[in-house]
Amino acid sequence: MQEIIRQLDEKRAAARLGGGQKRIDSQHAKGKLTARERIELLLDAGSFEEWDMFKEHRCTDFGMDKDSVPGDGVVTGYGTINGRLAFVFSQDFTVFGGSLSEAHAEKICKIMDHAMKVGAPVIGLNDSGGARIQEGVASLGGYAEVFQRNVMASGVIPQISLIMGPCAGGAVYSPAMTDFIFMVKDSSYMFVTGPEVVKTVTHEEVTAEELGGAVTHNTKSGVADLGFENDVEALMLTRRLFNYLPLSNREKPPVRPTPDPADRIEMSLDTLVPDNPNKPYDMKELIVKTVDDGDFFELQPDHAKNIIIGFARMEGSTVGIVANQPLVLAGCLDIKSSIKAGRFVRFCDAFNIPVVTFVDVPGFMPGTAQEYGGIIKHGAKLLYAYAECTVPKVTVITRKAYGGAYDVMSSKHLRGDVNFAWPTAEIAVMGPKGAVEIIFREEKNDPEKIAARTEEYRQKFANPFIAGHRGYIDDVIMPHETRKRICRSLAMLKDKQLENPWRKHGNIPL
Amino acid sequence: MFKKILIANRGEIACRVIKTARKMGIKTVAVYSEADKDAMHVDMADEAVCIGPAASKESYLVMDKIIAACKQTGAEAVHPGYGFLSENQEFSRTLEEQGIVFIGPKHYSVAAMGDKIASKKLAMEAKVNTIPGYNDAIGSPEQAVEIAKGIGYPVMIKASAGGGGKGLRVAFNDKEAFEGFSSCRNEARNSFGDDRVFIEKFVEEPRHIEIQVLGDAHGTVLYLNERECSIQRRHQKVIEEAPSPFIDPETRKKMGEQAVALAKAVKYQSAGTVEFVVGKDKSFYFLEMNTRLQVEHPVTELITGLDLVEQMIRVAAGEPLSIKQSDIGIHGWAMEARICAEDPYRNFLPSVGRLVRYLPPPEVPGEVRVDTGVFEGGEVSMYYDSMIAKLICHGTTRDQAIGRLREALNAFCIRGLSHNISFVSAVLAHPRFVSGKFTTAFIAEEYPTGFHNEDVVHDDPALLVAVAGAVNYLYHVRASRIVGQLPGHEYKIPGQWVVLFAEEEYPIAVRAIAGGHRVSYGDVDYDVLADWRFYDPVFRCTINGQPVTMQVERVGTRFRIHHWGVRAEVEVVSARGAELLKRMPKKAPPDLSKFLLSPMPGLLREVAVRQGQEVKAGEKLAVIEAMKMENVLKAEQDCVVEEILAKQGDSLAVDQPIVRFA
Repeated sequence: MQEIIRQLDEKRAAARLGGGQKRIDSQHAKGKLTARERIELLLDAGSFEEWDMFKEHRCTDFGMDKDSVPGDGVVTGYGTINGRLAFVFSQDFTVFGGSLSEAHAEKICKIMDHAMKVGAPVIGLNDSGGARIQEGVASLGGYAEVFQRNVMASGVIPQISLIMGPCAGGAVYSPAMTDFIFMVKDSSYMFVTGPEVVKTVTHEEVTAEELGGAVTHNTKSGVADLGFENDVEALMLTRRLFNYLPLSNREKPPVRPTPDPADRIEMSLDTLVPDNPNKPYDMKELIVKTVDDGDFFELQPDHAKNIIIGFARMEGSTVGIVANQPLVLAGCLDIKSSIKAGRFVRFCDAFNIPVVTFVDVPGFMPGTAQEYGGIIKHGAKLLYAYAECTVPKVTVITRKAYGGAYDVMSSKHLRGDVNFAWPTAEIAVMGPKGAVEIIFREEKNDPEKIAARTEEYRQKFANPFIAGHRGYIDDVIMPHETRKRICRSLAMLKDKQLENPWRKHGNIPL
Repeated sequence: MFKKILIANRGEIACRVIKTARKMGIKTVAVYSEADKDAMHVDMADEAVCIGPAASKESYLVMDKIIAACKQTGAEAVHPGYGFLSENQEFSRTLEEQGIVFIGPKHYSVAAMGDKIASKKLAMEAKVNTIPGYNDAIGSPEQAVEIAKGIGYPVMIKASAGGGGKGLRVAFNDKEAFEGFSSCRNEARNSFGDDRVFIEKFVEEPRHIEIQVLGDAHGTVLYLNERECSIQRRHQKVIEEAPSPFIDPETRKKMGEQAVALAKAVKYQSAGTVEFVVGKDKSFYFLEMNTRLQVEHPVTELITGLDLVEQMIRVAAGEPLSIKQSDIGIHGWAMEARICAEDPYRNFLPSVGRLVRYLPPPEVPGEVRVDTGVFEGGEVSMYYDSMIAKLICHGTTRDQAIGRLREALNAFCIRGLSHNISFVSAVLAHPRFVSGKFTTAFIAEEYPTGFHNEDVVHDDPALLVAVAGAVNYLYHVRASRIVGQLPGHEYKIPGQWVVLFAEEEYPIAVRAIAGGHRVSYGDVDYDVLADWRFYDPVFRCTINGQPVTMQVERVGTRFRIHHWGVRAEVEVVSARGAELLKRMPKKAPPDLSKFLLSPMPGLLREVAVRQGQEVKAGEKLAVIEAMKMENVLKAEQDCVVEEILAKQGDSLAVDQPIVRFA
């Protein structure tokens, strides 16, 4: 017995060393933590239960039979984050560059299958050079096994991907199908084909960082949801995101008691919307002053900034926030912002998270770039997402809600449960100037008449009351009481039941 | 007594006058420009009249509009506040002609003191000490040199109409006197359209000390002791106090009596201020008389117990002063900090915009007074002075007054625009300021390259560590209360943490105690007791029984703490986290000296250079429009343009790079 225990200790020690001290030092020299160090920070101290520590690959070609490391380049298991269950895999770059073998894939699949069974999220810490080339098609098969499970788990359990090293080629498609992608600046990159191939094929010269670094994917492409300065920050804030998510679609969003009173008033919101309708203001101020404790976990803050998305809590319970941002492009909807918000609304809907929408939208962005880019189909994604969504939906129109964009932004007609407007709201087909130029086209050359007509239109339509007459707006509320009114609405909607007709799946305009 | 008065001003001073009028049972009328329609003084007054567009010269400076507003509302008297029309003799005369009382001195007193050369002559006649010098306009540089020699170097060359630092030269020898005279005269001609220049003795280690006087219509004039106003930045006062730490009773009496003599010489009736420059040997010389209520009048009020605005109103209504010189004492010490919307880290660039958060410290009668003219959710516009509030504290001793002011500043929360709170806090903590041994050059000498966060050293970092430890623990307590935890495996908050701050590590132990937390660092226990809510940016607590106030914001994984002028980025991590954090690369911040950064949010109107261009220091690089004002950005040194990073018409964020240099 003593001997076996000694052997076990030795084997564990060997497995923990991964690819050896030299490679661990090299990992650290790159400013990266090791797979196990990352898990230590991600999970509650001492909560990690490791599985398959002794699992090894079965490849015998190219001398691989003489080169095997227990664990095979990925650390898997489960643990807790603030006491709540989470499954984790963490790729170990010190072992064969974290490359994915059949055995490596099996380990990932094992925890994914368990996560599905018990209903708990999977967090993947990606740091891998790609497929284990020595294994050939067995490695590719391994990827596909993971992909299939990503798809089956989508909408059932939350899946979070942290990119903490290279992630290239086919490997990108596993994170791509998860719910959130977080990247670390300067030490991670994601692309389908790397800089060398790009150079050969298109003669473009580009660095890995420029092609697929954290900044690129958090600003230009919108592939990533957040970018962090280093591994520690990434792991700490992943814990914070995790607190907002239900463990699976079988659960209500998690409640965390707050000392923040539901009826807290914020008088300064009464002056948030400027007198001049063309003057922007920062919608984030409204969000921060409305949600519990002023804590707003924003996603994709540097991509499609004309719309804001993120998680917050109201009376302790998670809500998804979607808001137009008048500071950027006047808050209009375009291709990128529609995709960004559409995907977020669908995540919330899948996981029973109520959606709170703040509206100040002058319409869709005009122009050839948008039309050629397919704004028709991409804009429809957000419309589809809101229309399909059955979770509680509370909407507050702060200022402009013009045209089709009014319909899209969680309007009454898309089964908005509670729709409020501030007294400054203008709900109309278009702004007064544009409307008058069409309705009174023949008076176009008479500036005085046009001015009078514009004023008439403004009086008549640039307010929340026409929509109120029709019941499209449930109430006109004072800005300072916004928190209280949303809290009460969400409390009322707590046990909302609404189901869409049965179907295999809808056909969202992809 | 008047039934209704009009306040021809805005901001904190208008609000302050309204408060006193209300106390006296007098109705108030506010006037406001279009930019001020939602301003605090409009809300506070019983009536309000719009007097025109935002620009002062079309509203607050237009006498006819103010007189019309008086007629419209039936206001019997006008309080002018400070600035605007307060020292305009034509205004007070016109009001008088229209049968409206000007709450201030008579126009002839204003006129007598309005011109620097004329007022100096008057002072000499009244036997007031004046700086040795030549008090007639000087004709030529040669004459200037002769006069300078006669007085003895160093000398100061001043434009008669000068002010705000313009039209001022110091000469230490003949050559400098010759050149200084010529350039001063040119500047005076161009800036003021008045090229009269005179020369006087340059006072060494000068202090700016002023005497508050108060006179009535019956010939009584009293002095209400002095104010020390030497802490100035480019001739703008920053911190004022009363009494002065420098003045002895004998000097005070002499200065007071001379100030009274001067006031009597011009039949002064109202509150006024006689400014002196005081040398290191306590010799004092008359500078000028301000014929209005001063910004810093509250420090005098706090040590004398008088309400100067009330006294001004009573005097204007013809009442005799009810106090005698012997009634006026010095009770304790008062100190005032001017709170301005400006960015001390960016060379005090004015800052405008929305007050996203505005939480002044609570007033404590006899200890803390806040004179404010703005409110949370209000707008600070570019049209007017950047001073938005004054914080005045009183104590029995100077040290106590400083302590209270520092504590109150800790609780003064402003977000949405830049403000100078960290700067005034740093000055108040400066050993030289605390010692009381300073001159008007204090700021220029102590902050020669401007104000930098790194310059401010926290006296007691353990307090920051204790607060960060406690706040972090509160966040973990909150996190530990989430539902859905594995039964039997719930989150246990660790007791050991490491606080990281300014490259230092502070290992601490934290545990909950009644009413708060005990943070142990080294051998010392800090009992941090607080009833704080996460959304409150101001963290008020007691640490081992001592009240401590800090501003704490959670930004990402860090806490940003403001305390005593220090802006600290503090991280609290587990012991293991601290160990692993050391492995993280220290990313050098980008070398910003290679970039032209936008100093403010605004619209890029013009990029005046092109790629590859060689630029000389002082050449125009770009023009940014912010709040309808064009700001020209110039090259600070010779450089070559490597890359243009923004284009005309772009909306720029603050610190956004515009040009990269080679």
